[in-house]
Amino acid sequence: MTHREPAVEPLPADKDRPYLGGPEPAVEFGRLFDVYAQPLHRYLARRVGTETADDLVSETFLVALNQRHTYDPHRGAVRSWLYGIATNLLRRQYRQELRALQATARSAGHAPGEEASHEARVADRLDAAAMAAQLAGALAELSEGDRDVLLLTSWAGFDSNEVADALNIPVGTVRSRLHRVRKWLRAHAPRGYGNV
Amino acid sequence: MSSHEDNVRAVWSDDELDRALAALQPVPEPNKHALDRIRADLLVAAGARMPVGEPTRSWRRWSWWLAAVGTVVAVMASVLIVQTVQFGDETTDAAAGQLYRAADRITAVDVPLGPGQYRYVATHAWWMNTFDEDYAYLAENVEEVWIPADQTQEWLWRRDVTGARKWLVGSETKAKAEGIPLDEPDWPEGEWRAPCGDWYATEAGRKPCTAEGNWQSPDTAFLSTLPRDPAELYDRLRTDTAGQGNDADLEMVVYVADVLRTGRVPADLRASLYRVLAKVPGLEITDRVANVDGHKGTAFGISAAGFRHDVIIDPVTGQFIGEREITEDDLDGIPAGTVTEYTSVATTVVAGMGVRPSG
Repeated sequence: MTHREPAVEPLPADKDRPYLGGPEPAVEFGRLFDVYAQPLHRYLARRVGTETADDLVSETFLVALNQRHTYDPHRGAVRSWLYGIATNLLRRQYRQELRALQATARSAGHAPGEEASHEARVADRLDAAAMAAQLAGALAELSEGDRDVLLLTSWAGFDSNEVADALNIPVGTVRSRLHRVRKWLRAHAPRGYGNV
Repeated sequence: MSSHEDNVRAVWSDDELDRALAALQPVPEPNKHALDRIRADLLVAAGARMPVGEPTRSWRRWSWWLAAVGTVVAVMASVLIVQTVQFGDETTDAAAGQLYRAADRITAVDVPLGPGQYRYVATHAWWMNTFDEDYAYLAENVEEVWIPADQTQEWLWRRDVTGARKWLVGSETKAKAEGIPLDEPDWPEGEWRAPCGDWYATEAGRKPCTAEGNWQSPDTAFLSTLPRDPAELYDRLRTDTAGQGNDADLEMVVYVADVLRTGRVPADLRASLYRVLAKVPGLEITDRVANVDGHKGTAFGISAAGFRHDVIIDPVTGQFIGEREITEDDLDGIPAGTVTEYTSVATTVVAGMGVRPSG
């Protein structure tokens, strides 16, 4: 006598604005988990490693469940809200993220100073991994807020409005921050900034 | 910001930055077992009981319109079977005749609301909850709605799940002995206020009173668009129900019950709706003395997908007084002929918001 639940059409992430205050949160949260847990995990694992990502995904959804009445569908898509919660939790892993970035930066095996200038001159021949290693050092120098804006955009694929919703800052701030950060990285990453 | 303008390669292009970002840090695939465990913990926290990779074991609201399709309908022997209703005025069968008489008995106009008065619609429902195949009961629900004369003003809605149960499969004692939680709310309870009765405006992200009316939530504007001519109204209902539900004819009855249940249908439209019902193929008088909360009426039913849906009308006053659903097949532990849901609806005028009728 069990009914099959009607299949739920997946919504575009920016249109997914469910009402979470219903009497059976298990149903809606099961759906949210099935849609968003994997991409969120990949994003977090990239920032702080896969084990810590497990914990953060778990915490994110539990916090979301407990705070479901604070989610306002008018203010943003549920994905932005979930990533916003995850971003707050990520702050506690700040040192771990820095260590990972610094380890990646060291893996490039380059020294600062003259060596960096040399590498910069042959940047067009550097493979992507080496460039990534250079970038890692520069990323470690960014403020957390700047890094969040950049990586939500680049790694999580958020647009400026979604970043603004996730971080609860004006969209103009997101755009100007992103512009400033990218300009700074383009100039400083090639110098192997992280080891300065 | 760069101090290395002297060096042509000292500054990356946007494209180089994007490539470096894309290549930075491995993107490990999440461990499926880890995610499954996290999901299970989440669902336990959210109130589901057996969430791990299996259908959730939890109480389910029985929704008769979701019932499985495809079972052969066995008409119960006790049912008075009436031939398919014919179109046109010369129809002679009992159900249609009764419905026409009920329609004729509806007074031409509704009693208008006086100053400060509210229309009060009380719904007393017994809805089925099931827990897997081991337990099933009807839970008593009471809903009350106060509608102001100016419908753009604030309405009041009260819901109460009383806790009374009628067991169909299993028992209270057995469920308690097995640790099945019984006090899980079936539905939100409490009190809501909203202009136009637009209870979900906030959730839906719209201004109150901007929702478009429909058969399930009719507003004055919607009701005024419905034709009063029975043939036209029949066609309109066919159009609006096209593609809905499991059975085209059943869905006609469902929509009529939906709109009647709201207590907002004016008398002239109510009469037309009965005349429309009379034209629905397969509608039968299924019970001449259906008892709804002590109020006797005639049940007009239609069978589809293993269930019979009855609309119950007081033959004397022409009032819609309730509805019920009966399974026509044996369902896990529930024999054919069992009432799986019933509802009585009473409408009256009261002196103020929150005031119940006396007596």
